[in-house]
Amino acid sequence: MMADTAASTGSSNPATAKIDVRGVSKRYATDDANTPPVLDDIDLTIGDNEFVTLVGRSGCGKTTLLNIIGGLVEPSHGDISVNGRLVTGPGEGKGMVFQQHALFPWLTALHNVGFGCRNNGVSAAESDRISRQLIELVGLQGFEDKYPTELSGGMQQRVAIARALATDPEILLMDEPFGALDELTRLEMQDELLRVWSAHKKTVVFVTHSISEALVLSDRIILLAARPGRIRREFIVPFPRPRQRTDPQMIALYDEIWRNLA
Amino acid sequence: MRNSRIIGGLTLIFLLVLWQLAVTWGFLKPFQFPPPSRIGGAVVELATKGFPNNQHIWTHVGVTLWRIIQGYVLAITVAIPIGLLIGTVAVLDKLTLPIITFGRSVATLSLLPLVIIWFGTGELTKVLLIAYGCFWAMLSNVIAGVKYVDPVMIRAARTLDTGRLRMFVKVVVPATLPRMFVGARMALGVGFMVIVGAEMIGTIQGLGALIMEARTFYRSDITIVGMLFIGILGFSISTGLSWLETVLLPWNKGLEEVRR
Ligand SMILES: Nc1ncnc2c1ncn2[C@@H]1O[C@H](COP(=O)(O)OP(=O)(O)OP(=O)(O)O)[C@@H](O)[C@H]1O
Ligand SMILES: [Mg+2]
Repeated sequence: MMADTAASTGSSNPATAKIDVRGVSKRYATDDANTPPVLDDIDLTIGDNEFVTLVGRSGCGKTTLLNIIGGLVEPSHGDISVNGRLVTGPGEGKGMVFQQHALFPWLTALHNVGFGCRNNGVSAAESDRISRQLIELVGLQGFEDKYPTELSGGMQQRVAIARALATDPEILLMDEPFGALDELTRLEMQDELLRVWSAHKKTVVFVTHSISEALVLSDRIILLAARPGRIRREFIVPFPRPRQRTDPQMIALYDEIWRNLA
Repeated sequence: MRNSRIIGGLTLIFLLVLWQLAVTWGFLKPFQFPPPSRIGGAVVELATKGFPNNQHIWTHVGVTLWRIIQGYVLAITVAIPIGLLIGTVAVLDKLTLPIITFGRSVATLSLLPLVIIWFGTGELTKVLLIAYGCFWAMLSNVIAGVKYVDPVMIRAARTLDTGRLRMFVKVVVPATLPRMFVGARMALGVGFMVIVGAEMIGTIQGLGALIMEARTFYRSDITIVGMLFIGILGFSISTGLSWLETVLLPWNKGLEEVRR
């Protein structure tokens, strides 16, 4: 029964590739030559409007892979292309939410969210309007004029999500964006993310430690193995959304992923 | 909090009384350790008759303050742009590092004879000496501030398509501000260290001159008054600077609270 829900490595090859990771390996400069590489010959094709989640144990290279896709870290070998063009740097339609929120402490929540818009030459008034909308979307109305230090960790994380959404990037790279949230807020944010994703036709690469989060959100779950960092398996999640965690099929898939993780 | 303040005050009063008694009972010589009563008398003398040559205490304070402000403002306005430039351009940082280390290490007052030869014994010399001392303290902090901007901030900005100019103006400069205030406070301390020496020559006005003149007349009570006023002045400006920091960098407040 599991055979039709879990596909094996590399079988998925969507017709319209949005992100193409080809033979990417990574060894940090500080690593000595004997340790296996952080990432070893990763091939991954992500389709347009696909929602892909990376899971794997702490330290297996999820952040590294996400940063390489985002153009922030250079791979040691291999390359990345987006829309068929080689990625040479960050930005340009690749919005990013970092594992640590990375807000600008000298800007209020509102101006943090509007930072990207202002870069793109959007007027202050229009940028504020967009930012207010997004702050409401992440449930922070009333906190527009607070500085990051005046917000809780989860609130900071939500501002960072709003900031990544503000420029309406076609690709969203999110590194454990809901890690600092309580269960209830987390579920609300998952719903909002799915809504934004389906309404605005975004391609999402999402990192999480929570298998159930991955199951609720993704089209496809990529399980990474550590040192050498390889794709251990991928799982297609074929169920229609909204998904119920209590659905027996979901539970069965959860168990299967869990067995592969351990 | 309130209790500790009361205890601190009481301790101070106790020590002053002890000091007074030690002189009265002959354990301490009055011209080496003028008792609090003599110091109080000296304050009154300075506030009414003046010393030396009827120079009022407020003249001394005003003159010193004005010299420090000129030298300090000069140093800071020059150090900020230069520091931003050096911190941004890695090559410049490498090239200037030896010069800066050297400049910082030269004790400002050892320059006094040279500066007198160049600029005489007037106001300019004093202001330049103060500026010299303040400059290096400020400069090295501005450079460090730029160099150690949290790389996470730069990364985040890059993912938001931040151009070079905006990266500098909207990310690097604000990220550097707290460190600039650290530099400004350190520079102020240096300024106060330099002032006494700078006022040793060619003037009878200013707190440094007051202290030197008092020495000539064996008036150690007046020397102590001079010290006290320098301390009060430094403390006030430093407090003003902290206040300015909370006004200009309201976002830094939360961080401060965590630090304590
Ligand atoms: N800048 C760096 N320099 C050197 N080594 C690094 C660097 N960043 C990460 N590493 C190493 O690379 C490996 C993968 O790190 P990475 O941050 O990608 O893991 P992760 O899967 O995101 O872990 P987590 O789930 O804990 O966030 C780790 O062994 C880490 O020590
Ligand atoms: Mg990580």
